[in-house]
Amino acid sequence: MRKREKFNMAKKLVFLFIYPVLGMSFGQTTSEFLFNEGNKAYNAGNYENAISLYEQTLEMGKHSADIYYNLGNANYRLNKVAESVYYFEKAMLMRPNDKDIITNSAFANNMTIDAIEKIPVSQIDQIRNSIIETFSFEIWTYFTIILLWIFTILFLAYLFFIRARLKRIFFFSSLSILLLFILSFSITYSIDQNEKNKKFAILFSKQTDIWSEPNQQAERLFVLHEGTKMQLLDSLEEWQKIRIANGSEGWIKDASFKKIN
Amino acid sequence: MEAQVTFEAKVSKRRLGLNERLRVDFEMNENGDNFNPPSFSNFQVVSGPQQAVSRSWVNGVQSFSKTYTYFLTPKIKGKVTIGQAIVTIGGEIYKTTPVEIEVTNSVKKPNDPNNVDNIVDGNIHLVAEVSKSAPYLNEGITVIYKLYFRNPISVSDVSEIESPSYGDFWSHLIKIGRAEINMRGSYKGEPYNEVIWRKAVLYPQKTGKLVLEPLTLNLSLSIPSNRRDLFGRRIMTQTQKTITTGEKVIAVKDLPQNNKPENFSGAVGQFDFDVILNKDLLKASESFQAKIKVKGKGNLKLFNLPTINVPNTLEVYEPEHDEKVKITISGMQGTIEDNYTIVPQFQGKYPIPPIQFSYFDPKSKSYKILKSQNLIVDVFEGPTAVSTNRNSKSIAPKTSIPMADNAFRYIKLETKFESIDKKSLWRSKFFWTLVIFPFFILSVSFLLKRIFYGRNEDVTKQKQRRAEQLTKKYLSSAKKYFDDQAQFYEVLERALHNYLKAKLKIETTELSKSKIKNLLHLKNVDEKTASEYVEVIESCERARYSPESLVNIKDDFKNASNLIGKIDRQI
Repeated sequence: MRKREKFNMAKKLVFLFIYPVLGMSFGQTTSEFLFNEGNKAYNAGNYENAISLYEQTLEMGKHSADIYYNLGNANYRLNKVAESVYYFEKAMLMRPNDKDIITNSAFANNMTIDAIEKIPVSQIDQIRNSIIETFSFEIWTYFTIILLWIFTILFLAYLFFIRARLKRIFFFSSLSILLLFILSFSITYSIDQNEKNKKFAILFSKQTDIWSEPNQQAERLFVLHEGTKMQLLDSLEEWQKIRIANGSEGWIKDASFKKIN
Repeated sequence: MEAQVTFEAKVSKRRLGLNERLRVDFEMNENGDNFNPPSFSNFQVVSGPQQAVSRSWVNGVQSFSKTYTYFLTPKIKGKVTIGQAIVTIGGEIYKTTPVEIEVTNSVKKPNDPNNVDNIVDGNIHLVAEVSKSAPYLNEGITVIYKLYFRNPISVSDVSEIESPSYGDFWSHLIKIGRAEINMRGSYKGEPYNEVIWRKAVLYPQKTGKLVLEPLTLNLSLSIPSNRRDLFGRRIMTQTQKTITTGEKVIAVKDLPQNNKPENFSGAVGQFDFDVILNKDLLKASESFQAKIKVKGKGNLKLFNLPTINVPNTLEVYEPEHDEKVKITISGMQGTIEDNYTIVPQFQGKYPIPPIQFSYFDPKSKSYKILKSQNLIVDVFEGPTAVSTNRNSKSIAPKTSIPMADNAFRYIKLETKFESIDKKSLWRSKFFWTLVIFPFFILSVSFLLKRIFYGRNEDVTKQKQRRAEQLTKKYLSSAKKYFDDQAQFYEVLERALHNYLKAKLKIETTELSKSKIKNLLHLKNVDEKTASEYVEVIESCERARYSPESLVNIKDDFKNASNLIGKIDRQI
């Protein structure tokens, strides 16, 4: 009896170790397979099918900018405004500088009903944004770490070389890399803070009233239609405070929306 | 024989109902002039004055009478006085005494059946037929005014005294050409001649009890009298008759409040709704038309069409309104349309969201909501709307960059998947280790360097320092003898030797020039410096043994200290 139990335990342990490894490789291939199948369906004009195939991939816990982009395209073909805008936004978040994504996202935004004028961005903010958007957040993180390591190596070289000229070179280069590291670290930090503070969502309800206060006695301010990007602020019970691109704020009730980040 | 002059007023009765008639005779027995009747302010004069004069001789006695006759109907109830009539007879003014009449409520069977009035009342009726006495707000109703009459009455002329104004209704009168007599009408089951006098279509605009004002007609009637003419035919008498429908009350119901659609604009009836585009495939800057159309029966002219709601990059102009509505006895019928002209600015697809039109159907007593189908306009050529701000963290604005070859892009065919719930490296444990570890390495190596290099340094540095000190000492002592050539070179030579001994760690007394060269070479000092060093020593010797030779003490001293510095750096 005892032995048998032990054997079972061992078996379980083996599975516990093997299974994730197997599962991972298996998952990768099937998600790739589903992606390709989805592409085929898209090409055949079978957009519903393509969407369901892509979504299966997402359900497996895998994603990429490309699959969000393709989902946006397929939804655009089916004239689903909110879905299409949502997926393009997701894709843009993962890869901010892709031209295809930017172009098609503009097409999707064309379909939305509301004309929302964006508040003009100040020049300083523009420069700041363009620096931040050079890389995605993840790459900034890597960049920060790599800079730190380069600094370390250079500084070590400075410490252990005896020749005065080499020492001088290593010292100044390590200092400049340290400055770069500090810059990169602060950029990464600010992106992270921004992302934590600013939650965005796409409105999925066809039409929603925006109220001045979170109760029905309040004044109705304006109406939004599906596909509008909103920043989520506070929430109170079933009410959610939002801000849209032109700076207007208000409360929505029972509206369906999907968070982007 | 002259009789006394009399002038008196005689009434047919002192007490009568409101709906009865009163005959008043003013009789005089002498011919008078300037007859002036009283004002009859509380009566309506139905006919009169009729003048009658009679003259007769009975047994040689002449009698004369002249009578003015009026037929009156009372206007009010209560005690009414007929005032004095005035006449001039033989130059004198005579007045009648006022007569007091009591007017009571209407009498059911006024007077006797042979009376003209009775004949009239029994055989002529004016009726307002309302199609629905309790309609909904804005539900169309019709009112038909019918005049019924039957033998022996015939109507010779009709004039409208009072016509309703339909204050709380939207009204439309339907034109009837000539009044035609339908011989086969029936009123309360009995055969009558029927004339449709007027038709009106009404749409109540207010809820609650609305009063339909009466229609009052004045009829000229011909009625056969009991008298006959020479040929035995009945003589027709002409009479006037005012007839009214009376007030009608219509109780207008409000539309039910529950289930009332939000965009309900007051349409009541039965409708069809459609949105039609004249084209759905076009180039940018061309225009297309969207037609919102409601067709059916109901208060078509009384509500607004729903407005179109299109994507913001479409330019929409004010709609043209078009009505083709016919108003018949069954109400308004036809179509109303709003024609929008729309110009797309950018290429792309523009879904036009379904437009809702809701109306109340009074037949099923419920609200109906009609939705147009989803329409899509495809704009295939023209500039593209591309958002310039690629900031994914802010909401993309819409600015246009015209780019001719900027079409909708195809999907991506390759991808690299990542796990969705992949933890970001940022601020993870691994991240912090990667950040802290370099600093750890740095501090450790700093310490190591301090410990190991610091100790090594001790032995060599001390000697070196001593050599430096010695050199300094010797060279500085040499400095003292700038005036004494022999002394200077001796000290300088010794200093150079001593320096080398200290530097190269040799304890000998003897140092030949070739040996110095070799030693320096071994210590990686380059050839030039070594030979220069030797040269300096040689010049020192030369100067020592031949004190007369021309030498430059300052140059040699400088040279020596330079060389020491050079060698020191190279070893």
